[in-house]
Amino acid sequence: MTETLFIGLSLSSILLLIALGLSITYGAMGVINMAHGELVMIGAYTAVLSGIYLNLNFFLALPLAFAVSALVGMALERLVIRRLYGRIIDTLLATWGVAIVLQQLIRLEFGLSFFGIHVEGLGPGLQSMDVPSFLTQPFEIGGVPIQPYRSFIIVVTLLLTLLTWFLMYRTSMGTQVRAIMRNPQIAAACGIDVRRVSAFTFAYGSGLAGVAGVLLAGFKTVMPDMGASTVVDGFLVVVVGGVGSLLGTVLASGLLGQINGVFAILFNDILARAVVFGVVIAIILWRPRGLFSFRSR
Amino acid sequence: MTRNTLFRLGDWGIYALFIVIVLGLPLMMDDVFWLNRIAKYLVYGMLGIAIALSWGYAGILNLGQGLFFGLGAYMVAMSLKLQSYTSMQQGSDRPVPDFMLWNAEPGAPTELCCIVKGSWLWLPFQAQWFGMVMAIAVPVIVALILSSAIFRLRVSGVYVAIITLALVLLVRLLIIDAQPVTNGFNGLTDLGWLTVAGIEFDPYMVSTYYIVAVSTCAVLLLTRWLVSTRAGLILQSTRDDPNRARYLGYDVAAYQVFFFTVSAGIAGFAGMLYVIAAEFASPSFLDITFSISMVVWAAVGGRSSLIGAAIGAILINTIEATASETEMFQEAWKLIIGVIFVLVVLYMPRGLAGLAQDLAGRIADARVGGKQRARTGAPAE
Repeated sequence: MTETLFIGLSLSSILLLIALGLSITYGAMGVINMAHGELVMIGAYTAVLSGIYLNLNFFLALPLAFAVSALVGMALERLVIRRLYGRIIDTLLATWGVAIVLQQLIRLEFGLSFFGIHVEGLGPGLQSMDVPSFLTQPFEIGGVPIQPYRSFIIVVTLLLTLLTWFLMYRTSMGTQVRAIMRNPQIAAACGIDVRRVSAFTFAYGSGLAGVAGVLLAGFKTVMPDMGASTVVDGFLVVVVGGVGSLLGTVLASGLLGQINGVFAILFNDILARAVVFGVVIAIILWRPRGLFSFRSR
Repeated sequence: MTRNTLFRLGDWGIYALFIVIVLGLPLMMDDVFWLNRIAKYLVYGMLGIAIALSWGYAGILNLGQGLFFGLGAYMVAMSLKLQSYTSMQQGSDRPVPDFMLWNAEPGAPTELCCIVKGSWLWLPFQAQWFGMVMAIAVPVIVALILSSAIFRLRVSGVYVAIITLALVLLVRLLIIDAQPVTNGFNGLTDLGWLTVAGIEFDPYMVSTYYIVAVSTCAVLLLTRWLVSTRAGLILQSTRDDPNRARYLGYDVAAYQVFFFTVSAGIAGFAGMLYVIAAEFASPSFLDITFSISMVVWAAVGGRSSLIGAAIGAILINTIEATASETEMFQEAWKLIIGVIFVLVVLYMPRGLAGLAQDLAGRIADARVGGKQRARTGAPAE
């Protein structure tokens, strides 16, 4: 029982990790960023490359990946998304194109492979990242086996969630973001620099994706299309939780992660995911605005 | 001649040109390998039409069109699988798909009724017409149930996209999970040929190309007619302002359900034709990438133009096939298509069709002169 819960919890934490950034970019800015998975992928590659070239260890890769993904996200906001505010379906389509471009840039080693130059750590192949050994040795507490890496992910996710909550609800920047969420026109009329705040918000959400990428790299192989499959799961969590609700995102990832975990044990992994999709469809039909959304006019 | 008449003539001219080229292609090209390829791209063109109908005319973005394509494909593939020589290898004169033999428990009867759990579902597919009817009927029924739920509950906009996306993923997983009956990840391969009135349609035969080509043209003209009917006009008004349409007394959901279902039926039909030309059905038809690709084709061609979306799909796929002759360029092409796509969304939201309209507008202006410019606007298509 405890083990099932733990599996569900660790699935939930990964979902939350990916959804946290999306919940900010989608919730605050109404941008469906299909390239979010690629920002995750960029985070993972940052960890791989910094290990190879800078000899950075795993823990230092976390803030570095945050910075790299945040910068890429900021560029993305400036070049593409800024022109599409208010056209939500178009943001989905344009960022889908961006996702392909980012994947191909890694696969083609930024075009260098055309000239026969190979950069170690890039390219179409699989990469892996070293995790410190004390995070991979399972240990027991009171007879219950604990996977240290999974626990580590849960702890980091928890810390990032708290940090996000603090930024959103206890800082003036967060207040501005929440004002933009409710009504960008009124927010602008009240003197909030919507463009600047939006750019920072997008960069922060992208940075969270980068951190998620490093953590994913610890137990998954790193490859150019590793992020593509995560973005849909992230979206479903955000929509089920309710757009713009941090609490909703946390609870939805908990719910969907546990459903996935329980049904994976009852049946198998494939059916468990199918059940999750079924639950998501039912919830959206029942409450299109999600489980925890604020009333909007 | 007024500007509008010029436009209408130009519009019909493009449709006529398209149909002449599609139907006349075998006269110009005798490479059956390429004809088969183009037949597949015409099927993609049909998917583009289906997307333009629901997205451009109804304002419903269906990110799960692959569901209907896949269902149509699987239905007809089941029939063609039973006609394949590979289903006759177990010695009896009644067909059993080869993968069921591999999956069967030792000692299980080699009969379609009970060789593996659920294999009786295949029984009616021994008749080819049953598979072909189901290829349209199943997508239509699924779409009818799904869209009734969605539009009666007044789910709209991006939530429709997310529901359809989740559903296509759900069904994909179910197909993969039902491995003994569906051959899971591998899909249905080694299919037999379509046989009508004793004639076998080899996919690499000109007559098979014509089946696809005539169907594509028929679907194009039919949808073009459909959007110009009264129902089509009301549909467009529900897209522009659903509340006002409701206020004027129209049952908005009914129109949305009808056109969503027509779009799904076209996708199912396309799935059927694809299997006839490509000789396989696989769960990859239900991948999200495929469903989103269809939307990409439609957007590049012109989301609110039926023929634009079809041409977009055919063009992108033909260029892609030419580009993937060399492996290096194949990867580079993906990069290019990604960039093109971003640029189209940013700077050319009406796609190639919009470009053509602007060009036509300029020519018309030059001919008619500036006098009429102020009086009439460009028609929607």
